[in-house]
Amino acid sequence: MECNGCEFNPELYYDAEYQIWLRREHDDSLTVGMTDISQTIAGKILHVRVRRPGTIRTPGKPVATIESGKWAGPIPNFMHCTILEGNPEVLENPVLLNSDPYNAWIARVEAAHSADHALEQFLTGDAAYEGYCKRARDEDIHCQRKVR
Amino acid sequence: MMVDIDQYLDNEEQTVVIVMTSGPSAPNRCATPFYLGSVLASMDIEVHIFFTMEGVRLMEKGVAEELAAIEGGKRIIEFIRDAKRAGVTLHVCQPALPGYRIEPASDLIDEVDRVARASELADLVLRCDKVITF
Repeated sequence: MECNGCEFNPELYYDAEYQIWLRREHDDSLTVGMTDISQTIAGKILHVRVRRPGTIRTPGKPVATIESGKWAGPIPNFMHCTILEGNPEVLENPVLLNSDPYNAWIARVEAAHSADHALEQFLTGDAAYEGYCKRARDEDIHCQRKVR
Repeated sequence: MMVDIDQYLDNEEQTVVIVMTSGPSAPNRCATPFYLGSVLASMDIEVHIFFTMEGVRLMEKGVAEELAAIEGGKRIIEFIRDAKRAGVTLHVCQPALPGYRIEPASDLIDEVDRVARASELADLVLRCDKVITF
C-alpha cells in the first residue's frame, strides 16, 4: 500500500504524526523504525546513534538521534520502555533507513508494562492508513527510497 | 555483527546555552546553531538558544523564511522548526530589539519562546554546563 509513493504497512503501529513505526516481535519486544515519510523528509541519513542498551526511556525521551545532511533530530519515543539493542546493520550503514525503511529497524525496546498496553496508544490498519495518506497529501510529501 | 560501543549514546543530561549573535548579514553562520541544537536536544540535553545583537533578526517575521545558509539550500526557518520540534527553547534579547526596529508584540515569529532581559541570559550562562557562541 502507498500514498504519494510513500510506502505503508498496515500491520505496523504508528504514532499520530507517522514519524515512527513499531512492530511487535515474537518475544513481545518492540522494534522501532522510521516511516517512509520520515526518511524522505530527512534526506540521506548519514549517522544514527541509539541510547545504550539498558537505558530506561520515559515518554518524550528519544530512543535515538539521526543526522542527515539537512536534518538532525530525535527518533521520538511515546512510552515507558527500556532499550534492548540498536540494529547493528543500521548503525553501520544508516542509509538503509532510506532504502528500506520498514525492514531497517533502529532499536529494539521492551515496554515497561506489556507490548499490548504500549501499543494501545498507536494507530494501525485502516485508521493508520487514512491518517498516513492525509499527512502525505496535506504536506505534499512524495517519497523516494532510492539513495540520494 | 558487533556494534561499536561509540555508536551508542551514553551522555549525562546537561544544559547547553547557544548564544547566537550572527544574523542575515552572515547567512553561512545561520543554520549550524539550529542543527547543533537539534542534535543536542535529541541527546537529552536541555538546549537554549539566546539571540542577541544581529541574531535577533533571525526571529523577525519574514527574515528566516527568505534566508538560506548556502545558495539554493534549505531555508533557515526550516532549521528553526527542526530545532523546535527537537525541544530547543528560543529566547530573544529584549534590549537588542529597538536597534533593529523590531516590535516584540507583533514582529517576531511564532517559534520564539521568550523575550528576555540580559539578566536572564546571565542566569542561563551561570547555571548551564556549556556555552557555545556563534
